[in-house]
Order: sequence, then C-alpha cells, then structure tokens
Amino acid sequence: MSVTATKTDFDLLPFAGEHHEEIPFIRKYIFSTDHKMISRQFLFMSLIFLALGGTLAAMIRWQLGFPGQPMPGGGVLPDTMAPGGIILPEFYNSLVTMHGTFMIFFAIMPLLVGVFGNLLIPLQIGAADMAFPRLNMFSFWLAVPAGFMMLGSFFVEGGAAGAGWTSYAPLSSSGEFTGVYLGQQLWLGSLFILGFSSIFGSVNYVTTIINMRAPGLTWFRIPLATWSLFITAWLVLLAMPILAGALIMLLADQTLGTTFFTPETGGEPLLWQHLFWYFGHPEVYILILPAMGIASEVVANGSRKPVFGYRSMVLAMISIAFLAWIVWGHHMFMSGMNPMLGMAFMITTMLIAVPSAIKVFNWLGTMWKGNIHYHTPFLHGAAFVSLFIIGGLSGIFMAVTPVDIQIHDTYFIVAHIHYVLFGGSLFGIFAGIIFWYPKFFGGIMNEFWGKIHFGLTFVLYNVVFFPMHSLGVQGMMRRLYDPYQYEFLAPLLPLNRFISVTVFGLVAVQAIFAANFLISLRRSNKCGPNPWKANSLEWTLPSPPPHGNFQEMPVVYRGPYEYSLPGAAEDYLLQSEPETGTEGAERPLEPAAH
Amino acid sequence: MTSQAAAVELPGRRPETGVEGVYTLKLGMWIFLLSEVMFFTSLIGTYVILRFAHPEHFAEPGEVLSIELTAINTFVLICSSVTMVKAFASLQHGDQAGLKKWLLATIILGTTFVGVQVYEYIHLIEEGFVPMTELYRAEGGPLYGSTFYLMTGFHGTHVTIGVLALIFVLTKAMRGEYTPQSLGGVEIVGLYWHFVDLVWIVLFTIVYLI
Amino acid sequence: MSIDNHTHPPYMKIFGILAVMMLAKVLVGISDLPKGLSIGLLILISFSSALLVALYYMHLRFETKKLWLLAFIPFPLVAILILTVIQEW
Repeated sequence: MSVTATKTDFDLLPFAGEHHEEIPFIRKYIFSTDHKMISRQFLFMSLIFLALGGTLAAMIRWQLGFPGQPMPGGGVLPDTMAPGGIILPEFYNSLVTMHGTFMIFFAIMPLLVGVFGNLLIPLQIGAADMAFPRLNMFSFWLAVPAGFMMLGSFFVEGGAAGAGWTSYAPLSSSGEFTGVYLGQQLWLGSLFILGFSSIFGSVNYVTTIINMRAPGLTWFRIPLATWSLFITAWLVLLAMPILAGALIMLLADQTLGTTFFTPETGGEPLLWQHLFWYFGHPEVYILILPAMGIASEVVANGSRKPVFGYRSMVLAMISIAFLAWIVWGHHMFMSGMNPMLGMAFMITTMLIAVPSAIKVFNWLGTMWKGNIHYHTPFLHGAAFVSLFIIGGLSGIFMAVTPVDIQIHDTYFIVAHIHYVLFGGSLFGIFAGIIFWYPKFFGGIMNEFWGKIHFGLTFVLYNVVFFPMHSLGVQGMMRRLYDPYQYEFLAPLLPLNRFISVTVFGLVAVQAIFAANFLISLRRSNKCGPNPWKANSLEWTLPSPPPHGNFQEMPVVYRGPYEYSLPGAAEDYLLQSEPETGTEGAERPLEPAAH
Repeated sequence: MTSQAAAVELPGRRPETGVEGVYTLKLGMWIFLLSEVMFFTSLIGTYVILRFAHPEHFAEPGEVLSIELTAINTFVLICSSVTMVKAFASLQHGDQAGLKKWLLATIILGTTFVGVQVYEYIHLIEEGFVPMTELYRAEGGPLYGSTFYLMTGFHGTHVTIGVLALIFVLTKAMRGEYTPQSLGGVEIVGLYWHFVDLVWIVLFTIVYLI
Repeated sequence: MSIDNHTHPPYMKIFGILAVMMLAKVLVGISDLPKGLSIGLLILISFSSALLVALYYMHLRFETKKLWLLAFIPFPLVAILILTVIQEW
C-alpha cells in the first residue's frame, strides 16, 4: 500500500511546486515571511553582535592585562569612556555588562534559537514553512529595534548599563550607584522587546513541530537538532515572561519611584535575584540545548554511525528541561538566602549533571568504532563534547555550596561560563554554520581554512580560559576594574597579561572564519543537495531550498541516523527514501542496555 | 469530519480536524496563553511574596480598595465571557447575526470593565494611593501601591488589547469572513478573552478579598 | 466542524454557577471568619471558578488529553516559584 496522503490536508501549505508570482525585493529580502530568509537575517544580525561582543571582551582583557595603560586605537573613544585611551572604571563596568548582554541575548541566543530554529525546523520536519510565517517575520523585526536600543545605550549620557548582565538591584535601581541612568533603562526596555521576539518565536516553533510534521515522522524519528529546539522553545516560552515581569518592576523602580527592590519601604533586593535566576537558569539551558542537538547531528554524520542511544538522548534533554526549573538558587548561594534553600539547590544541581553526563557518554558512544570522517563540522562537534565535559566538571565544583563560598564571583565562574558558552555553544554554532551552510547559501565553506580556523581557535581558546580556573581559586574576583590593587592578587598580573595577549590572537584568528564565510558566498560556489551524505529531510532538497521547500509532501520511513546499515549500498539512508526491500527496513530497536 | 475519515491514517501526521486552519491556530493560541500564565505569575507572585514578607507595608482588603465596585466590575467581566461564548456558539450554528450581536455585547462589556477600572484608578489616586514613594498618602505603604497598579494595570492592558482584537474580529465578521467551516479567528480571540477573565477571577480574589 | 447540541455545554448554567461563586467569594471576603479559613475558602472558590471557565468556556473539557497536559504545564512552575521564594521570609 503506497503511503500517500489525500491532498485535502496539505492544500493549505504552499509547496514549492506551486506557481508564485515574482516576489518584490522588499518582501523577499526585507519583510520576508520565508523561514529561511528570516534565519539568514538573524544570522547576519547575530554575527555582527558576536563580533561586537568579542571586541568588548578584547577591551576588558586590555584593562586586565595592561591596567591603566592607553589602549591601542583607544583614542577614538570619547573621554567619558576612555580619556587618552585609558579605560575608566565606569566604562569597565559597562564593558563587562554589555559583553555579557551582547553575547547572551544578541549573539548566542539568536544564533541558536533564531537562526537554527528557523532554518532547520520546517526543513527537518518536512513542512513548507513555519505555522505562523507572519508572526515569524514579526519576531525578527522586534529583535532589530531591541538591538539598536542596546547599541545606542553606549552613546547616551552616563553610558551603557553598568550593573552586570544580571543587573542586581539595588545597584541597578538607581543611577547614583553606577553613574548610569538612561543606559540602564534602555537596557531594560531593549530586553523587554527582545522577550516578545523570543516568546512569539517559541509559540511558532512549538506549534509547528507538534502539528506540521510530514507523514511518517513520528516523535522518535525527529532529528535531534529539531528535538533540542523543541525543548528549548518550551524553556523560552515559560522562562522569558518571568524576566519580563522582573524587568518591568526594575524599570518602574528606576523611573517611577516604586519600591519593589528597595528595602526601605518593604521591597526586597533578593526578590530581584530570585526572579532573575528563576528565568536565568532555564536561560542557560536555552543557550546550550540547541548546540547539543547540533553536536549530535554532526558527530553522528562524521562518525557514519547512528547516534548512540537516540531515545535516551531525547529523554535526557527532557529531564534537563524539567530539572532546569529547580536549580536556580545555585546562582545565589552567597546572596544571604535561606540556608535550607541552599542545601536543597545543591542537591538538585548535582542531579542535573546526570542527564548531561548521559549525553556525553552517548556522544562518545556514537564516535566509538565509527568510520570517522574528520570534516570541519565533526571537529567542532568533537570539541564541543570535550569542552562541555570540562565546563560540566567545573560546574560540579560550583554546585557544592561550601566550595562556592570560595569560588563564588571569581574567575572560576568565568572559566565555567566560557567553557559551556564558548567551548560548548559557540563551537556548536560553528559546527552548525559550516554543516548547514549549503542550506543557508547554496555553497560550501572551504575545508582547509575551516580546519586551520578550528585548530587555532581550539588551542588559543583553551590557553585563554583554562588558567582562569586557577585564577579564580586564587581569589581573583570578576567584574573588577583593578584586581591588582589587592596585594594578594598583584602576582597574578603576568598570567593575566599572557591571557590577554592570547585573547587578541584568538579574536584575530576569527577573521579566518569570517573570510571563509564571506568568500564562500560567491555565486560560483555551488553545492549539491547532500554534500555531507546525511539522512534528514533537508538533505533531499536543493542547496539552498526554494521558497516552499518541498515539491511535494515528503513521506518518512525511518529515523534520521541510518548510517552504515549492514548490507546497504551507501553508508547513509535518507529518511524519505522509500522502502526497497529489506535494506530499507528500520534498524531494530537498540538493546535495552541503554 | 467526513473528509478526514477518507484520508489514510499515517503515523506522525496529525490531519487538520476538518475545519481549515483552526487546529494549528488554536494550538498556537493555547501555547501563547501558557506564556501569559507565567507573566502574570511573576507579577502576582511578587505581590504574594512581598505581602507575606512585609504585611505592615500593605493594608487589609476594603481599607483602601473598593470591594463593592470591583465586585460589580468582576461580574461585568464574567458576563462578557458569557457573551463571548455565545458569539462563538452562534457562529458554530451559522448564525451570523448572532455572532455580530454577541461580539458587540462583549466589546461593550469589556470596555465597561476598563472604564470602571480607570474611574477606580482616578478615585484611588485622589486618595493618595499611588505607586510612587514620595506621593503616597493612603494606608499601608508605597509598596502596596506599586504592586496594585502593576498587577491590575497589566491586566487592564490585556483587556484593552482584547477589546481591540474583538473590534478587529467584529469588522471581519461584518464582512462575512467567518463561517462554521472557518471559525478560527473567533475561537482564538475567545480563548484569549476567557483567559483574561480567568486571570481576573484569581486577581480579584488575591488583591481585593484576601 | 458543526456542533450538534449534545456537545454544547450548558453555558448559561455555568454562568449561573460563576455568579453564585462570585457572590460567595465576596461574602467570605467581607465576613469575619478566621483568616486562615477565609483564605482557604477564597482560594478554593476562585480556583473552582477559574477551572469552570477553562473547562467549559475555553472548551478544554472537549479537547484532546494532550491539550490538557499542555495547559497544565505552567502550574507546577508557578507553585515552585512562589512556594520556594516565600521560604526566605
């Protein structure tokens, strides 16, 4: 019996076979409702913010490596920031705040959720577009003014927000503490608008994945990239509104003279921390889960093997999503909160390491005895796994409340953050951009330069961030303009200088990626539908896919990891390849051992 | 429903329920409403927590706020939920006139609710019940004012947005754009409206009665 | 999807119940009952009213179990936030 659907259900979807009139430029490139165009728009916006965030980091490292000295090129900065190129303390506070803000909200989050969510979800589930294409367009165009507000905040009187990306009250409640007035309000307003963008996006993603999967694409045949984005979308949906409420309250405190977080009239500074981190912890899983999904795809593809324990990978991500809601207090161990809560959060935090560890073992199991092709996406994926392990291990130390007494707010935390966000998320992003580049732009990035970029980045990255564990344990605090004013920290200057110089090298090396990315955009660089010999539905389409994606409704017969099937003609088998006898049969379920 | 019975049952594919676009549209609205639950949680939760922590900065129900007026207003909002559901039921039966009539009734009741609330605000502000610290003169403390206006203000904003959406839906209804086979727009506005009513039922209790 | 009268919930009856519940709430609120009891009653009545609106006006009663599950998701999170943070005091 052939598995064709009646046409009634799918009449509504604009499949690629349909005749479209020529779409005007402004509807095709600017106000587009095509998920692929929207993902490219997010890509360009986020990469710009990634570069800006990196620049801010370089400036932070200048101050830490060459304290009080004029920064090369610093002359262009106004005197309110860096007179004579020497960074002012207030500007340093803005630098650390905005580095975190740019990277988390305008680089990593839109890259993982906005870019890959938009590109991959409809393609991998066999849909023509998202459930709500106009809402999708609105999502992107909300992010743009939010971005401008953040950028613009540098140029208002008092400069950009300077209370840390965590904006703790009462430091952030009033400009008299940070010297920042309008900048802090712009920060709040910008994130509030961005929140709408995220929430609308997540409504789209969840609805699309639940309702618009192609025939045959059962839940446990969905590729892990889409699974991770589905779970992430739930976290976004439920966590961002809490932040929205907190932002409104802080904005009211700043502008209207309300007292939500000021103690004199019954307000509670700790309430800000609880609300912020109640959002903040799910947020960090938002920042890593899609990268985990991408890692699964590229590691399986490079290893030419199915993902080890696909089902447990899904269940692990779901467990992480559940546990994410009950660990937030570990960001507050030293806040003065109820010690009983401290103990409870320590236990739950240690628990959440378990599903992450399961995933790590499964990635290793995927690679084990695989016929590994060390292509650039695989390299980034393997780096993701190894660096995530390190980040996770440092997290175990931090989970233990008494240990946190010493390492709280030190460079140990900074090391952890960057191992999971750069070592984890960013390497995952690199993997994803290179792997799906044909679907973004039609060509393929250069392998040789990709490997050079990877190798240099991997080495320099570790040289920068690994020593920070030691710096933290020795007591070097974070967000501090001049750590060396303290005698016990003065001996740390040489190591800091070394790290700073390495950072400058690390930033410079990214130019290789940028050049590779841009040069590969040229029209003559064309690629077939499936250069990586992968299995999911996007690889059945031209590179890049046309408007409407599929010529006709795809039908799915198997899971997405049928690599190296015994007896098969090739070492991969597309999900939508019809059955051709026993070779097409779905691989029997993995033994119960995992 | 009958056309779907003829469709081949395929694993993983959920056919539309036979009403064009409604299922996906409805699912989308439900998902959105879940995020709204979280949003109101942050506001109402803040009130509950701060009031529990520092009751001396608040006042007993009835001391500052008018229970009677707001009770009537609550009744108005509940009525608007009934008119909304009747509007949708009319559409399901193909009664276009009924649809328009009940939508209009919902709009009027919703606007009344907002109007009464604005009137209440003006009255309270005159009594010195304000969010700002310096200007606060009523019982309790400025925190009471801050939390009150935060919760009811955002709820009122949601009602206003609902009224605007209802007006939009009414205009489409007047052009005959909804049929029993294509009723998604009305249903999702209805869902949003009922949600807003639901939040008020909880909010009224917590703010005015407890 | 045409609705036959069998699946049509008794909207006016529900309205009546909601109105009665509302009245009861107000009476409890302005009464002199001990604080704990009145709070308990009020929460009970308001959650029941909210549930009625959700089940019948929002048609949850007639939707798939999956939608029930989805609709339920935020509530444990709400409880976790409020019950945990309130421990501080």
